[in-house]
Amino acid sequence: MTPYEFLADVLSEKYDVAKEVISPEATLTELGLDSLTVVELLFDVEDEFGIEVPEERATFQTLAEAAALVDELVQAKGA
Amino acid sequence: MRGRRVFVTGLGFVSPLGEDPAVVFERLCRGESAIRMVRSGTPEIGADVLLASIDFDPGDRIKKADRLLMARSAQMAVVATGNALEDSGLLVDGRGPEEANVHMGCGLGGAEVLQESYASYSASRRVRPTTVPRIMASGPASLVCMSFGIRGLAHTYSVACASSSVAIGEAFRSIRDGYADVVIAGGAEAMLNDGSVAAWQAVGVIAKQHSQGAGASCRPFDLERTGLVLGEGAVTLILESEERASARGANRVAEIVGFGASSDAHKLTEPSVDGQERAMRNAMEDARLSADTVGYINAHATGTPTGDVVEIEAIKRAFGASARKVAISSTKSMHGHLVGASGALECAVTALALRERRIPQTANLTMPDPACDLDCVAVESRDAPNLEVALSNSFAFGGSNATLVLRRA
Repeated sequence: MTPYEFLADVLSEKYDVAKEVISPEATLTELGLDSLTVVELLFDVEDEFGIEVPEERATFQTLAEAAALVDELVQAKGA
Repeated sequence: MRGRRVFVTGLGFVSPLGEDPAVVFERLCRGESAIRMVRSGTPEIGADVLLASIDFDPGDRIKKADRLLMARSAQMAVVATGNALEDSGLLVDGRGPEEANVHMGCGLGGAEVLQESYASYSASRRVRPTTVPRIMASGPASLVCMSFGIRGLAHTYSVACASSSVAIGEAFRSIRDGYADVVIAGGAEAMLNDGSVAAWQAVGVIAKQHSQGAGASCRPFDLERTGLVLGEGAVTLILESEERASARGANRVAEIVGFGASSDAHKLTEPSVDGQERAMRNAMEDARLSADTVGYINAHATGTPTGDVVEIEAIKRAFGASARKVAISSTKSMHGHLVGASGALECAVTALALRERRIPQTANLTMPDPACDLDCVAVESRDAPNLEVALSNSFAFGGSNATLVLRRA
């Protein structure tokens, strides 16, 4: 599963976000998440991909930006 | 100067015997027990333990995403409060009265979250970001406010087994003394997670299974009693000033007329006759009612060998010559001990007993302990056509005692 697919999955399953509003351009705020629920979401992402998202890197707004950060951290881990 | 009158205008339950207050009351009159033998822990490591647990589903009351931020106790509090607001006619488009205050009792807070977080920390040094707000004992009160748009104050009373009686007592005082017109008052507790249950077992107060089955195991005032059974749940009462209740033609379940509290300054887990006597005396004095007007006591009586006798002795001292005339029952024999929520459940049951003029039974009381030689209503409910005033007792570990006085509305 790609980071984007995983994010989309968790948002729809755990956060009950309607599938039709989930898109790469959607911001997490638009999807109803706040600062606490974003870090809660990141906890699941870190668990799934075995990475650690440094606090200062968690500046993403959209799903695509979040997915790109996770991709980068996964690759950095593999390198 | 005598303050304003305070009425209970709505009830909401999430209890081991169900969510409909009328149905729960009927079950308590019939002697139906919610107590079952269940496996705590894992099949490999764990123990069989008696519990009054709830197959809980928040349904439409709480959105899936919102549940991620709520411990089980908070979810139960939100559902119970939704039920109570609806019952009182105060739920409009999913919102309650914005000006209301919230007084909730809670002993532990997010007990299962605490357990998960320690397990997670031990295994991986990682803990979920929502852990702190879910653990805090004040979570239920805050989430009730957030869920229904309640913007008065949100106060939590953590007084062990007396938590929600104190919450209701302070709510009653705040309306009587003119600080509030409407208060959402109650309690929530969900600590049937393995770690909490094991801790309670370690205290040595948990009942053993009776030869006649799990439902026969909690036996207040009975010679064969061996201890208490833990339950879980949340119960909310809507309290309103007489003026507010009259202005909107609210349904009145019962009136709250007095609250008394005391501290034993004695032992952590050993009750004291003196402290309990003073709580009952203070409550009746607060209500300006004499003991001979009281027709029913919903006893704290958890079913422990020591506790029940101490309460009977305290009633004898507080009531004097009237002690033999008051009917007493312990509904914990059926719904278990809800700890921080028990006072609210039993206060609500007492209100219903006044409304129905019917005293719920003490289940399993087939061989009365000669040391509990007052009028303990056993294995059958009793019609009480003249019932006007009743007490609800809650006596906590730590020696905190609370008694509420209710009058038929």
